[in-house]
Amino acid sequence: MKLDEKVVSHYESSDSPVDKEGYLYKKGEIKTSYQKRWCMLKGNLLFYKERPTDRDLTGVIVLEGCTVQLCESEEQFAFSLVWSEPGLRTYKFAAEDQDSQESWIKALLSANHSYLALLVMDLEKKYRGERLEEQLCESLLTDAPFVMPSFTAEPGFPAASCLSGQTSTLSSFPAQGAGAGPMLQALTVSSKTASKRSPKLWPKRSANVVPVNTPAPPLGEWSGVCFSSQEDFSKLHDDFGKEVKELIADWSRRGRGDDVVQEENLIDFG
Amino acid sequence: MRFNEKELVSLSRQPSEKAAELGMRGPKKGDVVKKRLVKLVVNFLFYFRIDEEEPIGALLLEQCRVEREDSQTFSIAFLDEAERKYLFECDSEEQCGEWVDAIIKASYEFMRKNLIFYRTEIHRLTGKDPLEQYGISDETRFQDCFTIKMTLFKENQPKTSEHLV
Repeated sequence: MKLDEKVVSHYESSDSPVDKEGYLYKKGEIKTSYQKRWCMLKGNLLFYKERPTDRDLTGVIVLEGCTVQLCESEEQFAFSLVWSEPGLRTYKFAAEDQDSQESWIKALLSANHSYLALLVMDLEKKYRGERLEEQLCESLLTDAPFVMPSFTAEPGFPAASCLSGQTSTLSSFPAQGAGAGPMLQALTVSSKTASKRSPKLWPKRSANVVPVNTPAPPLGEWSGVCFSSQEDFSKLHDDFGKEVKELIADWSRRGRGDDVVQEENLIDFG
Repeated sequence: MRFNEKELVSLSRQPSEKAAELGMRGPKKGDVVKKRLVKLVVNFLFYFRIDEEEPIGALLLEQCRVEREDSQTFSIAFLDEAERKYLFECDSEEQCGEWVDAIIKASYEFMRKNLIFYRTEIHRLTGKDPLEQYGISDETRFQDCFTIKMTLFKENQPKTSEHLV
């Protein structure tokens, strides 16, 4: 199988963040002795070359599908990258001291794509919850009708396609499958019926920063920290709904006819 | 340059975010469009001859520009060089759009930027760093940009903080 090496080298030499770099002793692939190599971790790739100033890379290890383990070795402060499928490799490394060993193991353990994807998904969910709350507070302060916050900050944002009526291909709201459908539809309905009002507290974002659609998370160590999204959002919505209803009732009593939010605007999740 | 080929081939067999038969044209002059099974797994794009087990090749989707060439064609360009532009022909406008979207979002660097954005915003909204509960707020991976942003954020804070009922 070919790997476009120029692309890989370009990534290594680009100014994207380096997650960790330093010397490690790497057990040779042909010779079995440990050789000192300058290693650089970027994303889910571990690059290595003889010296930091070398232009040419000796090699790269794609860190997907492996575990990082302490290992038995004649070398001190050793650890290995293990692919457990038959026929796949184990790469052995040794660090210069214990701190370095621990630090490298920690960095390599969390280098895989899924780890980051799960983390982003989790933060995205928290963020949306906070924005919902912020928007509601703002509405209450300015006596305006509650408008479901438009999560659209940039074109290409998942919510943008949702608002225009297309169904998002991947669930932009973290959901384990079927739950995503009704939620996204509900967001569409709400934005169309409520009055148009751009969220004031929504500053311009840089073009690069657009929330991501992520693949369904693999179950594993992180399943514990991810919330049950559908339950949480429903409850949040109900709680806000109660507050809004009370406010509407209050406004009606005080005779503010103009901006009364219709009952129907509140999304019914059924 | 050495790379862990077997492990990468194994990765190409993993469940995929997206896989379809597309017309693919390589970056070199004289390359023609060929029908390939194109598969997106994490931040790699693998391409196979139809009905073959092992991929012909793999493209790392970092530091690349994904663009719509026309209604049904998209390109992935590396190094801003015309020579390294791969072309992909889809069956529909919709499919083309979905692929462009999926490839952009598959990039590790793209995800990292999103993480930093959410982290900063959640901190702004709640006063708390969301990564603290996971014990990873000091990780270099998310550190530098966040630290810079937080310094700027603190400098720009108004003196009064009471603005909620």
